[in-house]
Amino acid sequence: MKKLLYILFSIVILAGCEPKIDEFSPDPGAANFTTYVAIGNSLTAGFTDGALYTSGQENSYPNMLAEQFKLVGGGDFNQPYINTENGVGIVVTPGKGIYLVTKMILKLVPDKDCSGQPIGTVSLKPEYIVPNPDQATLAGQLSARPTDPGPYNNMGVPGMNVKELFIPGYGSPYGNPFFARFASGIYSTVFQDAVAQNPTFFSLWIGNNDVLTSALAGTDALITPVDTFALYYNIAVLGLVNATSAPKGVLANIPDVTSIPFFTTISAQLPYDNVVLNAEQAAGLNFLYTMYGHPDIVWKEGKNPFVITTTTGDWVQMEPEDLFLLTLPTDSIKCRGMGIADPVLKRPYPIPGMFVLQKSEQTNIQNAILAFNQIIANAAQTNGLAFADMHTYMKSFAAGMVFDGIKMNTRFVSGGLFSTDGVHLCPRGYAVAANHFIDAINGQYASKIPYVDITKYPGLKFP
Amino acid sequence: MRRFTALLLGICLAATTAFGGGYQVSLHSIRNIGMGLIGTSLTYDASSFFYNPGAAAFVKERFSISGGVSLLMARTTFQPKDVMGQYKTENIINTPLYFYFGFKPFEDLSIGLAVNTPYGNKLSWGDTWQGRFLIQNLSFKAITVQPSFSYKIKDVFSFGMGLVVAIGNVELNKALPLEGQNGAEGKVNIKGNTYNVGFNGGILVRPVKGLNIGVDYRSRINMVVDNADATFTVPVSMKTNFPDQKVATSLPLPANLDFGISYEIKEKFLIGINLCYVFWGTYDTLIFDFKTKTPALDKTYAPAMYTNKLIPRIGAQYRVNDIVTVRLGGYYDPTPVPDDHLNPQTPSMNQIGLTAGLSVFPIKGLSIDAAFLYVMGLEREGTYSPENFSGTYKTSVYIPGFGLTYNF
Repeated sequence: MKKLLYILFSIVILAGCEPKIDEFSPDPGAANFTTYVAIGNSLTAGFTDGALYTSGQENSYPNMLAEQFKLVGGGDFNQPYINTENGVGIVVTPGKGIYLVTKMILKLVPDKDCSGQPIGTVSLKPEYIVPNPDQATLAGQLSARPTDPGPYNNMGVPGMNVKELFIPGYGSPYGNPFFARFASGIYSTVFQDAVAQNPTFFSLWIGNNDVLTSALAGTDALITPVDTFALYYNIAVLGLVNATSAPKGVLANIPDVTSIPFFTTISAQLPYDNVVLNAEQAAGLNFLYTMYGHPDIVWKEGKNPFVITTTTGDWVQMEPEDLFLLTLPTDSIKCRGMGIADPVLKRPYPIPGMFVLQKSEQTNIQNAILAFNQIIANAAQTNGLAFADMHTYMKSFAAGMVFDGIKMNTRFVSGGLFSTDGVHLCPRGYAVAANHFIDAINGQYASKIPYVDITKYPGLKFP
Repeated sequence: MRRFTALLLGICLAATTAFGGGYQVSLHSIRNIGMGLIGTSLTYDASSFFYNPGAAAFVKERFSISGGVSLLMARTTFQPKDVMGQYKTENIINTPLYFYFGFKPFEDLSIGLAVNTPYGNKLSWGDTWQGRFLIQNLSFKAITVQPSFSYKIKDVFSFGMGLVVAIGNVELNKALPLEGQNGAEGKVNIKGNTYNVGFNGGILVRPVKGLNIGVDYRSRINMVVDNADATFTVPVSMKTNFPDQKVATSLPLPANLDFGISYEIKEKFLIGINLCYVFWGTYDTLIFDFKTKTPALDKTYAPAMYTNKLIPRIGAQYRVNDIVTVRLGGYYDPTPVPDDHLNPQTPSMNQIGLTAGLSVFPIKGLSIDAAFLYVMGLEREGTYSPENFSGTYKTSVYIPGFGLTYNF
């Protein structure tokens, strides 16, 4: 009896010492992940905080996907690492040309009054980690080829649009320096370098720059025409699925560019009609604007909209839906009469159009995104490819999402989704995007690829 | 064989912690643990002051003292939903204690004191696990002290009541998704203590010799912590958003309505059942009201959405001879936590408890009591939807316990 009891107890103890749960068991399903090639723009490259830098690339969504693919037969994933942690970014200013910058980080910056004197408070702001960097040093880092000789599974090229996938010389010194640094040759195209790797699986997230480049310049003039987009996009998809390696893949569409912090942050703080005048001031401005040939702009007592220049050079007053860009020189607004009149030079001082995305421009951008996304969805449908609907998904973040206790939304800095540049995602944001790709792939190919653990990737870093 | 078992027990001691549907701990008498935690209708010793103050007057002897300790070793495994890797709670041994004293100034009246820990939860998932923004570790304990009386009318009916003073303390740590420039994550520590009072009352009916029917009600006690300390470890630029401060919160200790019936044949064999209705529904939302509100820090509401549950229990006791008594029992403890509010702070699941016990009486009136309770948690998938945290949990618990009882 006693012996029996001992045996019984021993079994119970052994059976339950560690409660056992079946582990997640990955399965490739109908896809083959042996050679994964990612094609895209800055988002694919892992560009973040306004620059390309080593750890940013490590946290690119294709690199995260490749880690998960390894659980279902995926091979190594080479990335064209840049050898700098401070990073290199390119700022193109109309009339001033190209200026190289480092990445931005959050800093506590003393607030100053209009005379430049600190007023004793500090604000949390993104600033370049190295202000006024040596241009030759950054140019050297940008042009240096990666240590790894390639080929590179990550074919993400910051700044690239759909058509540029196919431009010979895009990797030459006269092309895009972000491609030149790892192109297989100066005449090779991004598309050729991708297909030459005989991918068994690809991701294609391209098209953002066909609208974003224009939006970032505060205009609708640089949007890719829809038929051009359709032509090159379909060539890309057909070229990939008909490659000798007959890869399967996933297409992602274009998120709503005007809801990113770059376009929403300033307008949330600075109303379009923040010019409050008394009768005398209004009369004075009316006189001044008439004198300078703009009697159509009428100032009145009370609140008035700021004056801006349009893409065509006209002067107009802002409308409620117009959006300020994150690059708006708010000091000039506050201290130098920008948007009203220069108090020193005593002449009208409209806000340059490059800092404002007007309502009509937004409409044209939205329409282009709709048209492009239709082309992308059709291509996925026609070719039986997985489809990651980033447009719908990213929209759901406007109201806020929560993952494993981490709240994320589209607000600048505090939202935890976008990086300090207000355009690109932070590593945790890229992890969220990676999981949406995984959803799409699992759905299309009946594969069982586990999600990435988003808590392993950092959000913004605070001083 | 004995050594082998001891060795296995040793391994599990090293490998094991938390327990109970929700955060109720039912380890209050080694004798009762041995027979399935039935107790409402039993009249063997002063532990009745806790299980049913109404029953205490039926204890035969003038004095009764009982004390003991359980070594609660629980371990929970977690598999996050659709993510590789598993996590286990750390090895912590909880030691709920009890002490009871009963004294009959005259035949039909008994007065006594019950001291025990009916509610508690202690677990640690570690600082780096996937759910660290919900909880890293938690320690919550309520000790109750209950002076009571029990009065018997003939040998048929008795009633009793006690004033319950609950003293509680709580400490929790969790990570905050706010990284510093060195990559270190933020952290919050909340620590506080409090006390409150409730009551415990019951009756016992003995319609025929050997048959006991007991009913007991223990009231809800709301543990209100007005001035817990909240300490935030965050990057300097975020410190104005997260100042160290006082925070108010409260946790209800749910009411219990117990019904027990037992039948004893010739003071040799006893069998009993118990139905325990736990008013978990009172635990609706855990609120933290920060005294200093900032744009990042407001009153937080963590929905719990517990529901009332009935726990059926069965147990039996056999007196082998004057020296040895053996016991067996079991129960089913359904989880009060709904599937969409399954929180790693209290990874609750349906549980089956199997118990065995032994008392040795070296001299008349004195017993050395031992019991073993094995709780098998039934694997459960769920989500804590307010934080979108999903996965599968499974708990197993080993609870050896030892006690002494002296009636004279």
